[in-house]
This record gives sequence, C-alpha cells and structure tokens, in this order.
Amino acid sequence: MIQDQKTATLTTIFSEVLADLAFMFNDEEADYGVSSADVWLETEISYHGAQSGTLCLWCTRTFSVQLAANLLGVDPHESYAEEQGNDAVKEFMNIVCGQFITAIHGTGAVFDLTIPTLTELPETPRFPQEHGSHFSTVYVEGQRLCLRYKPGPGSE
Amino acid sequence: MSQNVLIVDDSATIRQMIKKTMGIAGLDVGDIYEASNGIEALAQLHDHCVAVMVVDINMPTMNGIQLLTRMKENERLKDIPIVIASTEGSQKRIDQMADFGAFGYVRKPFQPEQLRDVLQPLLGVTDDSGSKDSDANNDLF
Repeated sequence: MIQDQKTATLTTIFSEVLADLAFMFNDEEADYGVSSADVWLETEISYHGAQSGTLCLWCTRTFSVQLAANLLGVDPHESYAEEQGNDAVKEFMNIVCGQFITAIHGTGAVFDLTIPTLTELPETPRFPQEHGSHFSTVYVEGQRLCLRYKPGPGSE
Repeated sequence: MSQNVLIVDDSATIRQMIKKTMGIAGLDVGDIYEASNGIEALAQLHDHCVAVMVVDINMPTMNGIQLLTRMKENERLKDIPIVIASTEGSQKRIDQMADFGAFGYVRKPFQPEQLRDVLQPLLGVTDDSGSKDSDANNDLF
C-alpha cells in the first residue's frame, strides 16, 4: 500500500468510526484554523506483532466532551460528559486503531494494542509531520482534528 | 427470572453504552456489575453471582484473554457465558476466544442491534414478543 493510500485509509476509517460510534461527521469542505483558545489533547496508541505502528490524534477538549456526550446520549454541558471526555477519546482511538490494523494488515495476523495514553498539551500543537509518517486533517463540528500514523521500525 | 450481568471494559464510556443498549433492547437483565480489568472482574465474580459477561480484550492489569484463561481453570467460573466486545479484527484471535469458550463476539464499533442479537439468547427479553428459547446463537462468531 503506497503512502497516499494509507493516509486515505486512515481518514476513511477515522470518519467511519466517528459516524458509526458517535454520529459525528467529517466535513470535507471545511477548513477551520487551529483553535488556540481551547485545551489540546494528544492521544496515542501503538500496536505490535509481525508489523508495528503508532497512531496519534490531536483534538481539543471541546471535541472530547462532545464525543463523550454523543456516546453517552447526554447533553455536552452535563458534568458527566465533561468527566468522560478523556475516556471517550482514548476508547475512540482504540477502536480506530483496531479497524486500521485490519484495513492495512488484514485479518490473518495477530497484533497486540497498547493501552491508549492521553496528554493535555500546555500549548497549541504544531502537528509535527515526520518523514515516513502519514498525516491527515479532518474537520468535525467546527473542530479541526489531526491524525498521524507512524509505521514502526521495519514496517511499511 | 432476570439474570445478572458483568461488564468488563477499561472504558467507563463503553460500559455505560453497553448498559444503556441492554436497557433499550429490552433485555431481561437483573443487576449489572462493572469492572475495568480482569482483576476487578474476578473480584466481582467472587462477590456476586453472574449469569452472563461482556468482556473487552485490550485492558490494563489483566486483559480479556488472561481473564478467560483464569476463568477456564476455575470450576465455579468456567461455564459462565462470555460475549467478547472488542476492536479486535484478527480472525486467529477471534478463533482463540471461541476456543476458550466465549459464546459470541461483537466488534467495536457495534450497533445496539448487534449486541442485542448476541445477548438475547442468553438473557431473553422483558417484552412478551421475545423468547428466551431463541435459536439466534448460530454464527455468533
């Protein structure tokens, strides 16, 4: 699979999981700037097996709370949605990673996933695009989100 | 008689979603217990009588495979029906879970109907139109 195809696969899976799980949709026509007025979260998950790789999502606190609210069927202003925002994003990335692995490596091999980690960033991220990584930007409900797939050593 | 269920998933959001789905589906559920990993699940099983479990695979401390292995070795726990709810897509691992005696499998993200279909044969429904004797447990993997 060539690099552009992997980026397209990543974007498609991200959008499908978001729609299926939380009824939130990628607005492909949008082009929002990076919000510096919000807290940014960095969520990372890796997989290991015959091949390895790492997925990373950068999103705002506002997105995480909206995601939790949609998953739980509650109002985003409810304290419960705010409390579960981080958990919702981590679980979302767990699901995206599982689906992505199957899409690019097939169902034949067995992979172990790490437990997702989430970090609140002290400032607006710069979205580092390292050589060899696949980078995707999506726009959801007024929020800009960035996603990166970085193959592990020896993986494609 | 309503049956007790144990949900084992490290995501509180997913546990809440599963609880909600069981309610919406009209499944005949008694008490619902929760655990965020295999160790907590074993503690819940020590304290409570559970008829069905919904178990994730990827969890910290003790994952779903390790939990099923431990339960398989325990006379009191080895026959509790387990439904796997996971993001796992590897057929080999899904087969492995079936070999461990898992009753069914739903892949995340799942629709409420998918979870209902796999749990209904185990729990029945509160609605008179449903049947606890459903034969819908075919092809659950």
